[in-house]
Amino acid sequence: MDRLHALSDELAAAVQQAGRAVLAVHARPRLPSTGVHWRPGLVVTANHTVRADEGLTVTRPDGRSVPATLVGRDPVRDLAVLRVDVADVAVAELGDSDAVRVGHMVLALGAGPRASWGVISAIGAAHARSADVDLFSLDLTLYAGFSGGPLVDAQRHVVGINTSGMSRQMQLAVPASVVSRTVDALVSHGRMPQGYLGVGTQTVRVPAAMREQLHLDQALALIVVDVQAGSPAAAGLLIGDVILALDGHAIADPVDLRRLLRPERIGQRITARVVRGGQARDVELTIGERPARPR
Amino acid sequence: MDLAGVAADLRRVTVELAAAGHAVGSGVVWAPDWVVTNAHVAPHAHLIVRRADGAEAHGHVVARDRHADLALLQVPGLGLSAATLAPADELRVGSLVVAVGHPFGVRGALTTGIVHAMGSFVPGGRSWIQGDLRLAPGNSGGPLADVRGRVVGINAMIVGTLALAIPVSDVTRFVRDAG
Repeated sequence: MDRLHALSDELAAAVQQAGRAVLAVHARPRLPSTGVHWRPGLVVTANHTVRADEGLTVTRPDGRSVPATLVGRDPVRDLAVLRVDVADVAVAELGDSDAVRVGHMVLALGAGPRASWGVISAIGAAHARSADVDLFSLDLTLYAGFSGGPLVDAQRHVVGINTSGMSRQMQLAVPASVVSRTVDALVSHGRMPQGYLGVGTQTVRVPAAMREQLHLDQALALIVVDVQAGSPAAAGLLIGDVILALDGHAIADPVDLRRLLRPERIGQRITARVVRGGQARDVELTIGERPARPR
Repeated sequence: MDLAGVAADLRRVTVELAAAGHAVGSGVVWAPDWVVTNAHVAPHAHLIVRRADGAEAHGHVVARDRHADLALLQVPGLGLSAATLAPADELRVGSLVVAVGHPFGVRGALTTGIVHAMGSFVPGGRSWIQGDLRLAPGNSGGPLADVRGRVVGINAMIVGTLALAIPVSDVTRFVRDAG
């Protein structure tokens, strides 16, 4: 058999195999979205497609409808987890999303199954404003209803969850390793804990005089413009402090700060190098958990 | 066979149709001196049929079904052998497919993609091969084929970014009924 024909068969087999764990999710008016049977009894979909908290149903690959209950949502990564009694529906075979590279051939699946084909076009966090993790940018079409569906690699494994809800221009996927961490958190806490310092910052240019005096290389830093009362930041930071570095890494963009506040860092100590009153000093802070509602 | 070989094979069985001096779409050589295209591509009784090598012949419409969007042309002296048809049951969602046609007047353009879905959009509706590949108006009437160059459908319509093709089984039935 020639290579082209073998590739064609391989793609069709990947659709068939990965499609066994794909369900239609009915959680918004009219257009169903797609979900993946991620772990026994747990279906992952895209949060933006789950408009209601109750009265949810999913359609199994064999066409039967079953009720679903909402376990939790992670709006930052556009994921939602549903609990569904689908013991006889295959569970997705997860691939190593850390091994995915730009240029890899991938398929996106919708319930049906329906499929589209393309490559990973970029990996990074810059494509979605809200993201604190690296996302896959996809050079393929996410058709109507594809959000929440699996991104499938050439080994027929699920390496991510697709969404057109995080960026207006880009077709994105959340890597499977991130999805699994989110599922863990939502199952144990019902929500995704967010790291939290309670500080508002803006990028500032470091004045030449200060750079000279303190022997600094960096041109940009963060100035503290808000410290929330009772927050972890209140234990050590003051409005007007200029943050040069966190744990020895120069910082110049509030997005870098947000990326540092990943859930797994909650409870950890962090050293902030700050300039206060013309003097550089180290301030010890403990990363807290963002309160359920803003204080 | 590589894609270039598949494209060359498909171009030999794909013709460009013109009426009143304007290119109107593509067609597939279904049998020697017989060409199938879309009904919406062949609204006139007489068409100019242009081969990939530039030779031209006169064709006339012998059957047209607007509902099926298919037309059958007889083209005496066309001198081309028929396209190879794919077995009906081999195509699956995810299979690689290729299209050849004349989008925007670009002659013999090749596009590639996969089968997005098969079947109807609504229960009881007509069956389509829904392709995840980029087509343009000049592709109408041209072949959708597998990666062995065997025709699986006639490209008929673009809906959003989906390409819809009429399955070979429907075309075969139309041609048999027309004959």
